Amino acid sequence: MRRAAALKMLFHDRATALGSVAGVIAIVFLVGQQLAIFFGLTGFMSSIADTSGADAWVLARNTENINAAGSIPLSWRDRVAGVDGVAWVEPVVITAGQLRRRDGNTIGVQVVGCNPPRLAGGPNRFAQGSIADLLDPEAVTVDKLELPELGYPGVGDALEINGKRVRVAAVTTGLRGFGGTLLYCSIAKAREIAGSGGDRCTALLIGLSPGRDAVGMVALLRGILPRAEVFATADLSRSTKLYYLKNSGIGTSFGFTTLIAALVGLVIIALTMYTNVISKSQDYAMLRVLGARRRDVLYIVFLQSLYIAAIGILLGFLLLAGFLSGTRESALPVSLPWLVGPALAAATLLLCLLGSLLAMRRAVKIEPASAFR
Amino acid sequence: MRPAPVIQLQRVARDFHDGRQNRRVLFPLDLSVHRSELTIISGPSGSGKTTLLTIMALIQRPSQGRVLIGEQDVAGATEDLRATLRLRHFGFVFQNAALIPALSVAENALMAAAVQGGAVTAAARRRAQEALDTLGMADFWDINVSKLSGGQKQRVAIARALVNDPELILCDEPTSALDVESSAIVLKTLKRLSTEGRAVILVTHDPRVFPYADRLVQLVDGRIATDTGTKHTTDASADA
Ligand SMILES: Nc1ncnc2c1ncn2[C@@H]1O[C@H](COP(=O)(O)OP(=O)(O)O)[C@@H](O)[C@H]1O
Ligand SMILES: [Mg+2]
Repeated sequence: MRRAAALKMLFHDRATALGSVAGVIAIVFLVGQQLAIFFGLTGFMSSIADTSGADAWVLARNTENINAAGSIPLSWRDRVAGVDGVAWVEPVVITAGQLRRRDGNTIGVQVVGCNPPRLAGGPNRFAQGSIADLLDPEAVTVDKLELPELGYPGVGDALEINGKRVRVAAVTTGLRGFGGTLLYCSIAKAREIAGSGGDRCTALLIGLSPGRDAVGMVALLRGILPRAEVFATADLSRSTKLYYLKNSGIGTSFGFTTLIAALVGLVIIALTMYTNVISKSQDYAMLRVLGARRRDVLYIVFLQSLYIAAIGILLGFLLLAGFLSGTRESALPVSLPWLVGPALAAATLLLCLLGSLLAMRRAVKIEPASAFR
Repeated sequence: MRPAPVIQLQRVARDFHDGRQNRRVLFPLDLSVHRSELTIISGPSGSGKTTLLTIMALIQRPSQGRVLIGEQDVAGATEDLRATLRLRHFGFVFQNAALIPALSVAENALMAAAVQGGAVTAAARRRAQEALDTLGMADFWDINVSKLSGGQKQRVAIARALVNDPELILCDEPTSALDVESSAIVLKTLKRLSTEGRAVILVTHDPRVFPYADRLVQLVDGRIATDTGTKHTTDASADA
């Protein structure tokens, strides 16, 4: 009875109730959107590591960021290959280049060269073609989402990177770089683009034998290669993201926008719920006369705050889902790790309860005597 | 045998602070309210009628004096206890009906049984149905109260006052916002409730209501100016 009455009383003042719901939606949607873009963007930072399929990476000393790694001697490959538990070791060459589009404009690209025939570290999701297309020494892959920036090249089209001829052989999906548009090719082509010698590479990718754990192997390899930086792939990914968060304004910028979104929502909730209680204060005073204690009135407003949170979170997530599915195929980087959903819902509920404190404080102060005025 | 009063005020006075000074709006007075009696408290505007009513209703505390329910002085009781006593023993009818516009007739009536939570009992529901039926409001059970006329609203308010089967019904100017016809229905109902054994206190400044009184108490400037006395004559001395 009280629960139904609380809900009806809340929505009787429709404008303020919908205002409160809008405040909750604002929090869920705006914060969710910011987080999705943030995680999308940070995902791109480390996409080279994340798609590599390797268990561990050997890089130049002091490398923190996969997009800014120096070169190492290819000869280290032999020292790693003999280690018990290492199933395979493959070099990659990562380099920056200038791609000349068919319309003559140039754009900055990031090129990853993989070693045939295994082509370890190569792309794994294709819209057109497959990894085997990279066995062709001229071949490059482009990503579907970056076709506009590349001037819409089609499969079979010839392009130039740093004046070196390449041919679009396959189209990947959702594989985008942070230091420029990401293209994959053979290691020889990458060396050609970079103008580097055959005795060096950017990294050695390591695959472990089944049952071996990366952490133990990393420690072992650090002993064997004291002048190298050795990472488990997940650690390299994390280190890369952290590097950008520390060295660019991205973290603060997203944190600030998220905070503002949460604050705006909080203020909307607080003001509208307060107004709702004021507009219903004669009702609450009357209920006090009939025998409601302060805590009974408090309970009604608390329930109302839960209703607002529930409705707002539901609608906010629907809107967010719409946004996410609408941008999946667009150039906007979005990704929301599944744990973020419940965390966002819980945080929003807390903010909604926090926002209702003002209204609750007002509600418990309503005196029954005011019903007789 | 003398029937025990439902509620008894002894030397009750009330002061208000307005700004710096203390203003006395009720001077020490004694009043006992009995079952089966419709007591009208009248007097000019500002004479202290509502203040007296809210003290009897355990809503405001007296500045001095005792408020007895049975043998117990509840003047100083905690707010929660007074709220619970109101819930169990009192019914209320306000000048403006004071229904919750968001709710239906039934929900408004039953709210009186639900204000402290818990399920509405079958008995409370039955009393609400009976009361609405008697008041000619049975067909309006699920209707939103904002669709009702002033007179219909006040009848719903009376039904709400009866849901918890109170011994005492307190009404503050229940007819002053109503037309003659609706006033008559409300007053006849209150009169019937008193003859059925409840105590009814009716605060009004309208002399046309006086004929319904079993007892008439006139307040002037915070003092009882006249009191026709209770029909339970053995008790009249206590109120002198
Ligand atoms: N909460 C209050 N604070 C200060 N003065 C009050 C308060 N309530 C009532 N009064 C004063 O007490 C006097 C009696 O008021 P009230 O009991 O409402 O009279 P009535 O109901 O007879 O019109 C009035 O002068 C009024 O201004
Ligand atoms: Mg009054």
